[in-house]
Amino acid sequence: MSPLVLVLILVSLVAFVAGQLLLKHGMASTVTGGFRQRTFLVFILTGTAAMAVSYFLNLGLLQRLDLSYLYPFQGLSVLFIAGAAALLLHEKLTLPLIAGSVLITAGVVLVSIS
Amino acid sequence: MANHLSGFRNPWLQIAVSTVAVAISELFLKTGADATISLSPEWSWTGLTTLASPLVWLGIIFTIVSFITWLYAIKHLPLSVAFPASQAIHILVPLSSWLVLGEQISALRWCGIALVLCGLALVARPVAELEEKL
Repeated sequence: MSPLVLVLILVSLVAFVAGQLLLKHGMASTVTGGFRQRTFLVFILTGTAAMAVSYFLNLGLLQRLDLSYLYPFQGLSVLFIAGAAALLLHEKLTLPLIAGSVLITAGVVLVSIS
Repeated sequence: MANHLSGFRNPWLQIAVSTVAVAISELFLKTGADATISLSPEWSWTGLTTLASPLVWLGIIFTIVSFITWLYAIKHLPLSVAFPASQAIHILVPLSSWLVLGEQISALRWCGIALVLCGLALVARPVAELEEKL
């Protein structure tokens, strides 16, 4: 795998995780503030933009790599999102949640390599 | 709290709708992409030639439905719970490809599907505790 492909895979993953966190923060702000406020607009727009970047990087990568090669990296997003949500959004991680996420990741990797 | 999250606004229902919508959209996209495979090969790498198929547009509509229902789901649920739960997609897509498109599933892939199921069962436990708090 060339260094450029590895960098693109990483950027796509980071953009996906960042996008989910931004969307979550934007939607959480509507619980008390409703939809007509700046926090919602800023976070939904940046979150959607990050998701779009990840989406198109992924499409570009799919032209060069097999889906079964690329997909295990996406499986890792479960672990990254759980970790980032705990660190940045202060969500509580329980042991069953961590164990479940690890099993799901292992399953996704297995589904995609088989 | 539980009161105004009942019925269609229940975030678990929204995750289920979002996940099923992704599976349906993948089926439409795959069928539509296959139907347009011989259209102008010099442009096919952009993926844009698939837009000639109405099935691809249906797929896009279901993608939008899944995105909006996903936003409503994460409005109320922690991401560290909602995102693992949404990974049920990795069971739904191979199963529907098998049932609807007649694709083959290898023994190893069945094992992977079983692992994802076990993981979902584990994630469902914190989910049940969270439900009591809502």
